Amino acid sequence: MVPYIQAKNLNLTFRPKNRDPVTALLGLDLEASQGEFLSLVGPSGCGKSTFLNVLLGLLKPDSGDIRLNGNRITGPGQERAMVFQEFGLLPWRTVQANVELGLELKGVAAATRRQRSAELITLVGLNGFEQHYPHELSGGMKQRVGLARALATDPDVLLMDEPFAALDAQTRDLMQMELLQIWDRAKKTVLFVTHSIEEAAYLSDRVVIMTARPARTKSTIKINLPRPRDYEMRLSAEFNDIKARIWETLKEELMTRSAGDGS
Amino acid sequence: MTRLVNFYTEREHYILGGGFILLLIIAWESVPHLVALPRALSLFFTTPSKVWETFYELLVRNEVQAHFYVSATEFLLGLGLAILFGLPLGLIMGRSSVMDAMFDPYVTALNATPRIVFLPLLILWLGLGIWSKVMIVFIGAVFPLLINTYEGVKNVDRVLVNVVRSFGANEWQVMKMVVLPNSLLYIVVGLRLAIGRAILGVVVGEFYGATKGLGAMMARAASAYQVDVVFVGVAIFMAVSLIFTLTVKKIESKLTRWRPEAVKSF
Ligand SMILES: Nc1ncnc2c1ncn2[C@@H]1O[C@H](COP(=O)(O)OP(=O)(O)O)[C@@H](O)[C@H]1O
Ligand SMILES: [Mg+2]
Repeated sequence: MVPYIQAKNLNLTFRPKNRDPVTALLGLDLEASQGEFLSLVGPSGCGKSTFLNVLLGLLKPDSGDIRLNGNRITGPGQERAMVFQEFGLLPWRTVQANVELGLELKGVAAATRRQRSAELITLVGLNGFEQHYPHELSGGMKQRVGLARALATDPDVLLMDEPFAALDAQTRDLMQMELLQIWDRAKKTVLFVTHSIEEAAYLSDRVVIMTARPARTKSTIKINLPRPRDYEMRLSAEFNDIKARIWETLKEELMTRSAGDGS
Repeated sequence: MTRLVNFYTEREHYILGGGFILLLIIAWESVPHLVALPRALSLFFTTPSKVWETFYELLVRNEVQAHFYVSATEFLLGLGLAILFGLPLGLIMGRSSVMDAMFDPYVTALNATPRIVFLPLLILWLGLGIWSKVMIVFIGAVFPLLINTYEGVKNVDRVLVNVVRSFGANEWQVMKMVVLPNSLLYIVVGLRLAIGRAILGVVVGEFYGATKGLGAMMARAASAYQVDVVFVGVAIFMAVSLIFTLTVKKIESKLTRWRPEAVKSF
């Protein structure tokens, strides 16, 4: 059986003008099955965002093959949506208009759009803020809008690029719990980039650890903790054990990176 | 009583501003009543009431209207052409590096040159009628519009372009949903500058070479020591500039509702 998401031998080199080329992906292989919650961790600057952008269809790899459900990815598509790291909200649009962005581009009628955005705004708990502009919201609220916007078009695959990195610890914990609830109900496939081992271990079915740049997958750790997971689970010995295993693998790559930084 | 206080506090800004202007006018008006001006000086001196009388006379004789009409035509045609050329060229230069490279030397060189140096040539070529003035207004107004539009397009947030692309937007939709809203504020600021330069163009152009228009009226009056008439011209230009500034500010604050307060003023 073909994997739901399959990246094979992806290569991508950035060639900025007047600067040295940067190889971000070198022979990257990755697979994910439908409905899976997969986290990607790796040294910063290794190529995680690059990979998500390839999967989203915004970047074209130089070579290699990337498929969703057996179909080659050649551009953006409605079955995929991204929750961006710095929220990526259009500042001149209200919360409601931001949530409706994808629907609007899909050509959905205004009345249907309104109804759908109302549902999602309720889902992420932003009732009463429909007509607010992004600058009037806290970081946590902005990312709720980002999440609602990505869910609005009902994609099968949700890509999340360090979505909670800009949030304070408590908001972050809350958002993680809510994300798990939403994922549990909506049964989406989630690819979640984070630099927090704790976050990866808590949320995921599997954690993929990536090498320092250029990115390849170094190893994959399966998280066999029961679901639904609650906050107390994070205190268990088992959970700490998993965290330690991820850390062991990641540490080597972080060292490579700091060694490489000196050159 | 509280209603009166409320009435005042809500409008304090305007009441203080207007009151001070009124005070100055009264002070000015009373100068000849307080001090005896020497004959030579009083030739060049006037009072608000005399300016008002002159304005009324000119109005009755249909003279201001005729001059105003000419000046307004030059202003509107010149500014209109500037918008027609400046906006699209700014958008194109902002989006296409080829066009940017092609036009940039001209834009930079022409923008750096004081516009008045073109005036003698324009008058030679286009004559003393409105078109030499339309051109000088155009040259003055087109660059702030073009350059500001260009800056707005260049400053577009790459992340936001990627966001709308990821939801399936095409080039045109990217333009409409991200590039244009992002540039709109820059464009309005450009418009504000352009209006100032356009008015300047009308005045200077008409001073230098014209038979009709408010500037020509003022130049002629000045050489005949008709200080009142000159002041009528000054007052009209002030009023017009003020109206435009306030209008553009209104538009600006409408467009900036989505902005945090601190960033509002440029
Ligand atoms: N558009 C680009 N042009 C040039 N270099 C880039 C570009 N995007 C990313 N890079 C470089 O590619 C590498 C990987 O970046 P990225 O995928 O964003 O890393 P990560 O998300 O893992 O932190 C980095 O060294 C970054 O500087
Ligand atoms: Mg990144």
